[in-house]
Order: sequence, then C-alpha cells, then structure tokens
Amino acid sequence: MAEVKLDCMYEACPIPLLKAHKELKKMKKGDVLIMETDHTCSITNVLEWANKQGYEVDYIEVAEGEWEIYIEKE
Amino acid sequence: MKNLEKIYKKPWPYWIGGIILGILNIFLLLFVGKSMRMSTGFLYWGSYILDKIGVDLDSWYYFSQFDDVFRNNESLINNFYTVIIIAAIIGSLFSILLASEFKVKKVKSKKQLFFGLFGGILMGYGTRIAFGCNLGAFFSAIPSLSLHGWVFGIFMFVGAYIGSKILIKFIL
Repeated sequence: MAEVKLDCMYEACPIPLLKAHKELKKMKKGDVLIMETDHTCSITNVLEWANKQGYEVDYIEVAEGEWEIYIEKE
Repeated sequence: MKNLEKIYKKPWPYWIGGIILGILNIFLLLFVGKSMRMSTGFLYWGSYILDKIGVDLDSWYYFSQFDDVFRNNESLINNFYTVIIIAAIIGSLFSILLASEFKVKKVKSKKQLFFGLFGGILMGYGTRIAFGCNLGAFFSAIPSLSLHGWVFGIFMFVGAYIGSKILIKFIL
C-alpha cells in the first residue's frame, strides 16, 4: 500500500480534480492518494467524483482554508 | 451555534445555490429593473482608464455600434455594474470569512500566470462579442425569454468541452 502526495495548492477548478484523475490512473488498488488543496470547490467536486467511482474518500482541514483529501483506490 | 457553523462551513449542494441565485435575480429585477449581469462593468472600468490616459474611444468600432457608456447620472462608482461587482466581492468575502477559510493565494508558476492572463483576455473579448458573460448572456438571458441565451448556452457547453480537452492535453 503506497501513499502518493499530490500538490494542488493555489490551483482552481477543474485542475485539482483532473490531476487526481490522472494520478489515480497510475496507482494500484489499495494505494492512497493524498491531495493537498486550498480550493474550496475541491472538497465538493473531488469527493463527489471519488464517491461515484466507489473509492473510499475523506478529508481534513489542515489549516484555515487548506485541506488534505484522502482517496483510496479500489 | 454548532448548527449555524454547519451552514457556514459545509459546502451547499449546487441545486440549492441555483434556486437562491434564481430568487435573488427575480428580486434584483423587481427592485432595480435590471437582471444580474456583470461583464459590462469591466468594460466601463477599462474604457474609463483608457479615456483618462487619452485614448480616443469614439473612433473604436465597438463604441460606434453599442451604447455601452455612462448614462446621465452615472459615474465610475455609481452605476449598476460597479455596485454589483463590488457587492459580489463583498458577499463572497463575507461567506469565506464566516467559514474561516479566507486565504491569500499565491501564483503557483509562470505557466499558471500566463494561462490565467491569456484565458482572462479571451473571456473578456468573448463577453463583448457575445453581449455578456455567463450571467448576462445566459443566466439572465434565458429567463427573459431571449433566444440568444439558448444559443450562448449551447456554445458555452461546446466551448467548455473543447477547453477541457485542451486543458488535459497541453496544460495539466
């Protein structure tokens, strides 16, 4: 089980989602992608997308207006 | 207090935002007599600056075709568009402060800066030849039963599709 960090800071929609999509394609089942983002929309649209794919997903606010989104590839 | 915080903090579903926007637009039309639009405000600002530094705008083809100029009692600050733009900025600032998610964002790279500026110029140019942005030419045009709103809407989706293909291929 690998962990991959993905830097999406200072990037706006739809870049964080597309970056996650691209990165997850390269990853194996059970690997976890950790997205670092400060874009408010990401905690809506990335979560929505990941849920649709059936991936396990959660997020925490690491600082004011900064989040880490955890996506486990199924 | 906890419940209120949930309202500030949790992202609202898109459909709720849509309904609120629609209702607010009705009130705007009712009380001000104009529905939501914005991009002409940036034209006002830009042309005001150009005019002040001595550019002869009267000779521009655009201004010979459209009467996008201040009316009698309007000024740079006191006009519909400037008030709407400033209100939108204050409104979003207010909501992000309530959620305590305010953050000053940096420019990530030269590439981001270049594509941002380039995209902005394209969008600004587009609003002039399409009679507005996605607010004036789509969001407010369709409820006013104007055909051009539907045409704008269709091509907005076509543009977004092509744009995302370009984004994935060249920019990501």
